[in-house]
Amino acid sequence: MTVVEIDEVTKVYEGKVTHRAVNQLSFTVEKGEFLAVMGPSGSGKTTLLNLISTIDSLTSGEILIDGVNPHLLDKNELALFRRREMGFVFQDFNLLQMLTVEENLVLPLTLDYFPVDEMAKRVLVIAERLGLTLLLHKKPNEISGGEAQRTAIGRALIHQPAIILADEPTGNLDSKSSRDVLEILSHAAKEDETTIIMVTHDPIAASYCDRVLFIKDGEFFNEIYGDERRQTFYQRILNVLSLLGGSVNDVSTTRLP
Amino acid sequence: MTFRQLAYHNVFRNRRNYAAFFLASVFSVMVFFVCSMFIFHPLFEKDALQLLAIRGMMIAEVVLYIFTLFFLFYSMSAFLQARSKEFGVLMHLGMTKKQLNKLIFFEMLIIGAVSTVTGTVFGFAFSKFFFMIGREIMELDTLPLYVSWEPFLLTIVAFASLFVIISFVSVGFIRTKRVIDLLQGFWKVEEETKSSTMLAIMGIVFLTVAYIFAVNVSDETVYYIIFIVPPLATFGTYLFFTHTLSFLLGLCKRKKKVYWKKTRLVSLAEATVKLKDSAQMFFIVTIVSTVAFLTVGTLASFMSYTGDFRETNPLGLIYISFDGNEQEAEHIERLTSQLTSEQLSYDLVELTVKRQTSEASGNDVDILSLSEFNRLATALDFEPAQLVQGEGMFVPFSLDSAKELENVSVDTALIESDVPLSIRSTYPHVVFPIHTLNINTIVVSDADYEAINQPLVGYESGSSNFTYYAFDILNWTETMNIGNRLTDTMYEAADTADFNGIDYFFENPGADYRWFKSSFALLLFIGVMVAAVFLLAAGSFIYFKLYTGLERDRKQYKLLTRMGMTDKELGKIVNRQLIPQFFLPWVIALLHSAFAFISLQVVWDEFAELSILGEMAIVLGGFTIAQILYFFLIRWRYVAHLQAP
Repeated sequence: MTVVEIDEVTKVYEGKVTHRAVNQLSFTVEKGEFLAVMGPSGSGKTTLLNLISTIDSLTSGEILIDGVNPHLLDKNELALFRRREMGFVFQDFNLLQMLTVEENLVLPLTLDYFPVDEMAKRVLVIAERLGLTLLLHKKPNEISGGEAQRTAIGRALIHQPAIILADEPTGNLDSKSSRDVLEILSHAAKEDETTIIMVTHDPIAASYCDRVLFIKDGEFFNEIYGDERRQTFYQRILNVLSLLGGSVNDVSTTRLP
Repeated sequence: MTFRQLAYHNVFRNRRNYAAFFLASVFSVMVFFVCSMFIFHPLFEKDALQLLAIRGMMIAEVVLYIFTLFFLFYSMSAFLQARSKEFGVLMHLGMTKKQLNKLIFFEMLIIGAVSTVTGTVFGFAFSKFFFMIGREIMELDTLPLYVSWEPFLLTIVAFASLFVIISFVSVGFIRTKRVIDLLQGFWKVEEETKSSTMLAIMGIVFLTVAYIFAVNVSDETVYYIIFIVPPLATFGTYLFFTHTLSFLLGLCKRKKKVYWKKTRLVSLAEATVKLKDSAQMFFIVTIVSTVAFLTVGTLASFMSYTGDFRETNPLGLIYISFDGNEQEAEHIERLTSQLTSEQLSYDLVELTVKRQTSEASGNDVDILSLSEFNRLATALDFEPAQLVQGEGMFVPFSLDSAKELENVSVDTALIESDVPLSIRSTYPHVVFPIHTLNINTIVVSDADYEAINQPLVGYESGSSNFTYYAFDILNWTETMNIGNRLTDTMYEAADTADFNGIDYFFENPGADYRWFKSSFALLLFIGVMVAAVFLLAAGSFIYFKLYTGLERDRKQYKLLTRMGMTDKELGKIVNRQLIPQFFLPWVIALLHSAFAFISLQVVWDEFAELSILGEMAIVLGGFTIAQILYFFLIRWRYVAHLQAP
């Protein structure tokens, strides 16, 4: 079942120099799929993510999430849509500093006026699953980066959204914390059938995914599917990345006969 | 966590940011409440001074209300902008605009409720203290504390309405509506200000022109100046902070010898960046401080008005009896017996004043005889005058006129009685207060005085003369209770402008003096309280700017320490950063006020000869000391937070 459908999406930033951040990009994401989007800096990854998360507007094209085109919703409906259908994970966590870990976790439920005992129930479950039980009453500035990112993932999962959008979730983390975070995400995709789109620079992070989509200069470049062994998938990702590194023309003359 | 708890956490866990803002609000509520306590005091009779007190307090309340509204308005907009990243996250997570409004509304209600209640409680706790000051100033026997619902109701209704207004309005402060912009954060834009050279120069020109105008003000131009200078200075100040300063810093930076020296590199670069954020805040702090200085300074200068009161009112009591006054003997009898019973020693000199028309000017003149005048002069410990027949002497009605008349000589004649006079001298003291005698009053020799036997044109024989009873009283300020009935009659007649059936005039300079002194002291008291609220608010703007930037500063200082900056150098940088923030607006405000007072001096000169320099020095000095203390307090906290692990 297709959850996300991106169809000929284009985003142009008007300014002194008109900049085409995303250009006629099309792809689909299936339910429960864990998709990584990779590309060099400035290739339009984050812009794409912002477009899907509905906080940036499209220039042309169409995005469907669960069959709904969120860009046709009014602001209020859009907020409700984000609140119920989406979860977000950011590179710099974006936890609210004056709330405790527990309060940060329940924030999406608070916004939706859930009853308190329901919130408490869900917090316990999710904290147990993410290993946050002992940290519930700490403030974000008292915990490590990995713990903060796990809290942010908990916040993204607690309302059981249809899709999770992650922007470089491991960008600020050490390798151990990165692994934890990626395993949690991968687990969420497999067990809960949550669709995850993750933007990343890191080939190791990408190797946890089911599929990696490469974009360059806002356009589709390549895509590869994962296989049984993460190690070989990682190798294949590196291969594509080495192609991405140079310009496309260079690659074709050296690699193609 | 419910939605309301979210708002609650936002306020209470951000209390460090809110501290100064909260303090200023609480203080404002407190002063407002104290004023209300005065206004509703059940023991306040409607006598003049207490009426003045009530009016003064009411004006103070209105000023406080409007100022607090403005203060909250500005603070809230700054607060909310500083929190835009947080709002961005919330909206990203799916908070609707309506929910955001609700959140801000709840937060404002919490802050409002807490500060109103705290302010009221503190106000009530300190009421007794303020009542003691009020009692001293108004010279009341007692001004007891009382409990009544009215002051509470007024304060709570006033501030509740105020906070509700702000809650509704402040929602509109979140300018950018796009989540993506909010997420970037407000403080992220830290480019250097692009200052326009033109505007930079205009700022200096405006200020200079305003100052030149203020210095060169004269009696004739003062009324234009009042309308030209304040807007000019305000606009000039704005340009100065927004453009001139960064222009000057730019000039400094261009000289690498100056710029790349030790800690200067960091502090100058910091200053340039912070200036952009702070320019408007500096401007507002400057204007608010200037207004506070001017208020208190002006009121303090009233106080000096009482300074030369004694010189222009050497008499203790004055009673003037006109033709046909049947109560003359009775009144004098009552006054002397009252003085005796109050155990006040006095000299009573009775002067018969004759009225004639002067040939030289064509005006009425009041004529005194030399012997009667000298009797009074001796009683007052002034030197007696010497006159021969045909000679006259001016008696000045004010210190000003004494100077003006000094070298004036006039040859004239008294038309009705045909007495020629040559006036060659002026008595060096003011003896009779202004309004008690004609402004043209002369003393003549006894022989000439006897020769005046015709009444003023249009009067029957003898009916133009009047008797002036001058009391010289040693303890002249103790005459509060003397002749109260006469005083009341005089006020009543003056109020209704109906002098029918009143053939006398009574004045009690001692009581007037006490009244002036009390009322000015009262106004000053109110003014100082209001100014204190102003200054505290100005301080809270600075505090707020510091604390919203604290996280960022902390990172930066940590980096600098890691790079090998010593604690001493850090202290230096902190000083360089804080001192301008605290004292730059302050210095500009002092300059503004100083020039404003130079102009005011000219205005005062016109009404009453006063020198306000001394009072001004005390007022500005006092505020400066308070500001320095505030600076050290904040610096101490700031450095502690910076060095915290």
